[in-house]
Amino acid sequence: MTLRAEKVSLQLGGRQALKAVSLEVTPGTVTALIGPNGAGKSSLLRILSGELKLCEGRVTLDGQPLHLFQVRELARLRSHMGQSAIIAFDFLVEEVLAMGWLGRPADFRPALLDVVARCDLGALLGQHFNRLSSGERQRVQFARALLQVWRRKEAAPAEGGASHTRHGRRCPDAGREARYLLLDEPTANLDLRHELLALRLARRAREDNLGVLMVLHDLNLAARFADRVALLADGALISVGAPEEVFRDEALSGLYGTKVFVERHRRLNRLVVHT
Amino acid sequence: MPINRAAVDQAQETSLGGSSSVRNPALWLLAAALCGALALALAVGAMPMPFRDILVGEAAFQRQVLVEIRAPRVALAGLVGAVLAASGAALQGLFRNPLADPGLIGVSGGAALGAVAMIVLGAGPSAGPWAAYALPLAAMLGAMLVTLFLWGFASRYGQFSIVTILLVGIAVNALTAVGVGAFQYLSDDGQLRTLTFWLMGSFGRASWPAVLPAALAMAAAATPLFLVARALDLLQLGESEAFHLGVEVRSLKRRIILCAAAAVGAGVAVSGIIGFVGLVVPHLVRLLGGAGHCWVLPGSALLGAALTILADLLARTIAAPAEIPLSLVTSALGAPFFLWLIARARPI
Repeated sequence: MTLRAEKVSLQLGGRQALKAVSLEVTPGTVTALIGPNGAGKSSLLRILSGELKLCEGRVTLDGQPLHLFQVRELARLRSHMGQSAIIAFDFLVEEVLAMGWLGRPADFRPALLDVVARCDLGALLGQHFNRLSSGERQRVQFARALLQVWRRKEAAPAEGGASHTRHGRRCPDAGREARYLLLDEPTANLDLRHELLALRLARRAREDNLGVLMVLHDLNLAARFADRVALLADGALISVGAPEEVFRDEALSGLYGTKVFVERHRRLNRLVVHT
Repeated sequence: MPINRAAVDQAQETSLGGSSSVRNPALWLLAAALCGALALALAVGAMPMPFRDILVGEAAFQRQVLVEIRAPRVALAGLVGAVLAASGAALQGLFRNPLADPGLIGVSGGAALGAVAMIVLGAGPSAGPWAAYALPLAAMLGAMLVTLFLWGFASRYGQFSIVTILLVGIAVNALTAVGVGAFQYLSDDGQLRTLTFWLMGSFGRASWPAVLPAALAMAAAATPLFLVARALDLLQLGESEAFHLGVEVRSLKRRIILCAAAAVGAGVAVSGIIGFVGLVVPHLVRLLGGAGHCWVLPGSALLGAALTILADLLARTIAAPAEIPLSLVTSALGAPFFLWLIARARPI
């Protein structure tokens, strides 16, 4: 049960965008993809989503090569969030969210309400997408990506109605289908609060058996929210592992071309990266 | 994580009514408008229609005019208007550009070239029983050839990207304009008159034997456009996003371009070139009920039919018994209206 790239190479416009990169995304984990600009992070994401055809290597989803899946089938199992552009026509936020819904029409309303509540989008729902700020658009696209792989929760054991609908509910369900969330800079343009909200949601998606792979530029956030970090540079995978293993002063300084210091913050009890 | 419960609840009440779905009540409004336009166009014309007499079996001549001249003409106007507007809406969605229009990808230009070539080089009315079909067939052939060329060129050299199609379409349009100009230069006075009339659109040649095959062709070609409404919505997010949402983007593009070209080609073949319907009507429809294609496509078809019927009514009554070219009417009304749309539009 994984989304796996094996020795993937990619030529993009005459440039070697990826060189024999192997990476796997496991459901129930959050992996952060970090690296300098142009390292091939977005390309790797789009390879794993099936959008880009690879030159060498292979990508498998739960053991099956990705190209054997139908586009529609794939869309049910993984969603991808890119950078949010303006839409040519004047759609409402609600309509944009509805574009992410691939399930039965009858389930749309509960799914929408659930995602809207979680993403704190209630106030934006009736607005015109193109009149939102870029950060707000980004939040809508994030919610759309969540909605795409949303699944109805199995009926939880009887409990008070109020506590049932609270967002903090937990109902682990071993039989839940594995799905994947591929996020390309989900926190771009977001304010502090919504940045944390988005990353917490990504982290909480683990409980729904989602495997999350996200491109992040903020190393502090990567260290804080990811179970694993994959460091890409110049199309090659430099290292992958827990943040403590990957975040080394010398390695990061060399790759980013600037002094980077990593320390464990005593009071916060997590890695902190200084530049 | 504070959650704005009140806002969610309010949104649930006000905003989740499926405003952009097929159930959009404005569709009924447009259907009613179409019925009104139909009735008006049948009733009004150079010859007054005493419906009461016709119903009781008198006024045989008026009845014949109604059934054999006016009815096919109104039917053709409605069909061509519907097809032009729906194709325009689909192409605007495909190109993600509100300025796209069936004329833009060179289809109308190709059809015009085919028709003009037939008018100037063809045998004219003396060609026997097929003469009535020669002009539409030539126009359709021209439209198909241009589309196939566009197709081959774009998929061979440009990975079939939308921008490539758009640019190639502009170049092809310029080339067909050269061809049309050359034929205009070669034509004699009588041909020039036919040719001008054809280039400005007219439903004056409508008769049931001409309308029915064209109607079949248009309906067959345009129907698939209505089935891709949701895919078109998803495409608005971008090609990459549409793929991630399960849309076979390549085949979607192919389908829309081929269907729109065939439908518009068939329409142009029988009625000449009619400006502005494909461009303006989808805008109007979006103003009325939002941008979702489940609404915009059928809405454009209905409104396009109604407006084209009314424009034709104006064209044949304003200077009755003479007729003015249809494009004069649609462009004279459409262009200022379009300017008004642009002026009032907030940045989109």
